[in-house]
Amino acid sequence: MRDAVPAPLAAVSATALLASMYLIFAWVPTEASMGIVQRIFYIHVSSAAVAFGGFFLGGFAAIGYLLNRAGERDDLSVACNEVGLLFACVNLVTGCLWAKPVWGVYWAWDARLTAMLLLALIYAAYLILRESIDEPSQRAVVCAVVSVFGMVDVPIVYMANRWWRTQHPAPVLGGGGSLDPRMTFVLFFTMFALALLYWCLVRQRRRMEALRKRTDALRREVQALA
Amino acid sequence: MGENLKWLWAAFGVAWALHVGYVALLSARTKRLSRELDNVSAQVKDLGSGASADV
Repeated sequence: MRDAVPAPLAAVSATALLASMYLIFAWVPTEASMGIVQRIFYIHVSSAAVAFGGFFLGGFAAIGYLLNRAGERDDLSVACNEVGLLFACVNLVTGCLWAKPVWGVYWAWDARLTAMLLLALIYAAYLILRESIDEPSQRAVVCAVVSVFGMVDVPIVYMANRWWRTQHPAPVLGGGGSLDPRMTFVLFFTMFALALLYWCLVRQRRRMEALRKRTDALRREVQALA
Repeated sequence: MGENLKWLWAAFGVAWALHVGYVALLSARTKRLSRELDNVSAQVKDLGSGASADV
């Protein structure tokens, strides 16, 4: 079997990640009011953006599966959603560690934070559901429906701090906030680097899912032959 | 500054630990599945050759 992550993609991804760490820690100016801790912003916001993009990819792959029942779409959907959940967890944890020095608490039950937590829980439930259904086509259909449901929740999470009063700051991008051009550059560069990492992980996870399906199919064949 | 630095390192440390942990988990799951696939393929081969010998 071919490598799931081609060497050039892995090399570009690793270089971009190292470069983004250099930009965050050594190049970008320190924000005036929050100080050095504001640098968490770059990984916090980028992780959310990659998670949202990943959930959309997973949702569209799930719609593709529901339309033509191609197993590869189901593999892609689960890979996108599982890796998206990883990035959502990074977003939640870095948010807590940023909130403590700035707000004085790790967590506030406000609209944005709660909506993001619910989104992560939807995808955690998706993965649990996936493990609990044995019949492959039934598993794929049920999980595709949950995946589409999760995807619909993404815009609600994004808009939560505009629709409801919340402690979370207004969005810096597309929310009327102003950001130093160097900070904007580092933010977009970090998003790019994390998106590359995301894609490497998705490819590896998709390969794992294909292996799992082959193993399950052969196991059924053994049961039929025995 | 020093106090805030602690939170900065904690956030980046946890973020990378989550990624590294996931990569390790993924790699372990893939290796286990590859081994299982080899075992099950061998079983299918054995059963297939047994069935053809019976015929």
